[in-house]
Amino acid sequence: MKDVIVFVEHTGGRPRRVSLEIATKARELASALGGSVHAVALGKGANEIAAQLKAYPIDKIHVSEDADVDAYLIDPQVDYLEAVAKAAGPALILVPNTMVGRDVGSRVAVRLGAGMTADVVDFSIGDGRVGCVSPKLGGLTITTCAFTSDHGVAAVRPNSFKAVQAAGAGEIVQLAKPSGAAYRMKIEDEVVEAAGELGVEEASVVVSGGRGLGGPEPFKTIVKDLADALGGAVGASRAAVDAGWIPHSHQVGQTGKTISPSLYIAVGISGAIQHKVGMRTAGTIVAINKDASVPIGEFADLLVVGDLFQIVPELTKALKESAAAHS
Amino acid sequence: MKIVVTVKLVPDTNADKRIDPGTKRLVRTGVETVINPFDEYALEAALQLKDKLGAETTVTVVTMAPESGKEIVRKALAMGADGAVLVSDEGCAGSDVLGTAYALAAAIKKTGFDLVVTGTQSTDAITGELPGALAEFLGVPGLTYLRKVEVDGSTVKAERETDTGYLKVSVPLPALVSVTKSIAEPRYPSLKGIMGAKKKTIAPLGLADLALDRPIGSAGAKAELVALTDPPARSKGKVVEVADGAEGARVILEFLREKKLV
Repeated sequence: MKDVIVFVEHTGGRPRRVSLEIATKARELASALGGSVHAVALGKGANEIAAQLKAYPIDKIHVSEDADVDAYLIDPQVDYLEAVAKAAGPALILVPNTMVGRDVGSRVAVRLGAGMTADVVDFSIGDGRVGCVSPKLGGLTITTCAFTSDHGVAAVRPNSFKAVQAAGAGEIVQLAKPSGAAYRMKIEDEVVEAAGELGVEEASVVVSGGRGLGGPEPFKTIVKDLADALGGAVGASRAAVDAGWIPHSHQVGQTGKTISPSLYIAVGISGAIQHKVGMRTAGTIVAINKDASVPIGEFADLLVVGDLFQIVPELTKALKESAAAHS
Repeated sequence: MKIVVTVKLVPDTNADKRIDPGTKRLVRTGVETVINPFDEYALEAALQLKDKLGAETTVTVVTMAPESGKEIVRKALAMGADGAVLVSDEGCAGSDVLGTAYALAAAIKKTGFDLVVTGTQSTDAITGELPGALAEFLGVPGLTYLRKVEVDGSTVKAERETDTGYLKVSVPLPALVSVTKSIAEPRYPSLKGIMGAKKKTIAPLGLADLALDRPIGSAGAKAELVALTDPPARSKGKVVEVADGAEGARVILEFLREKKLV
């Protein structure tokens, strides 16, 4: 395997940051393997996305604005990525560890007879072989997997690498429509409940609320305000989700999402094992709780013991003042 | 309609597990094996469809597990599944996602299906890649991350979660769907269900029964484990008791500045 292929997810006319993180890392991997970096951008606005991708170290940017990509779920993207992978020959295929990325990656892997691995937070290279490093069992152990197949698919966890601009050759290649494609998963409608909101999987800062919030309201007010002030996303513990205070898509933990933001702020969350496994790989963990003996105190970098209803709004205010003073 | 639910057996989610520093493997002593919690949502979704569609709909659980997993699978039968298929073979050991999906697809095809329901991921491996791979091997659409699923004649109508809301998607049967926790809280087995489960069939299948054309297990794995290491230690940090909101905010802000996070 020499080349590295990056599947680019984009939204609102911009590549998702995780795709830029992956593109940056792909350059390093391709250089070590002696190959090129390809990016694949599909759907409405793909040409505009390709233009933005030129700022990153990519050799070839494959695009298609095929309307099927936005009319049907997953399958058209699988067809295009498969075509690029087959044309490139043995290659490492990197997808974001997101709902779409894992789906596209796993289906392409089957078509290529390729090994696949997910939740990758780092890579190693030795003897021309790529090792994919992923935490398993909720971060209890770290595994390194290597592929024995010609192609390999790795789903890379957001926030694992830094996106760094450095223009590459950036040659834009228009992809031909796959022949005989007949798609069945029709997207009838998209319902946006929280416009412009960042998902917890991708955000570099996550502010999560738990049982200590006492109801749904603080998620929309103090927690949301703090997340906004930090440019982050709102997360939640299982207790808060089970109580119906916030949708499941926000849940961090064993039966929710496993994330590695650079900063995780846990508000009114005890940090039982169920929650811990979803966030223990965060860069820095800050907890706010009225109880000094909560389990999260055992692994948080900072536990502030006090009234969250007082501390959180004050922190938001202080952050805003600090931002204003620096602008 | 024939519904198949895939189930994985995993170490108990709520147990505080540890890794043996010598073998780097999970210490299984004192850790129960349970049905993957995500798969319980899948089973619940399937049982609700059966409740709506009537008695002609069957729910069959398909799992790949050692023979010893049989009694754990019985919980699914107690919840209301009609039967189970246990793919159990020494040759399965060490399977990667590709191999597991390939063997499960063969078992599901042999069982017969109109709809396959899976969880979104397992709590031990957490790849989230099995549903897509399974759909591909089955040659059917794979409609994943559903928070709502209905069957209307020969069409699945569903809502797929997104980061900002959901997509309304429809697809003709046969199909595979994966469901999230939003679908419904799994039911508890009733006493009647538990008694009834004892009479239900758990059919064993070996790899020879599946007529696979390539090896699975560690012999066929395309992603192989080359190293197991310990995660970076996460130790107890600072604990600061504060008198009021302003002091709490000041302590946190100073800490974030120190870490260059703001």
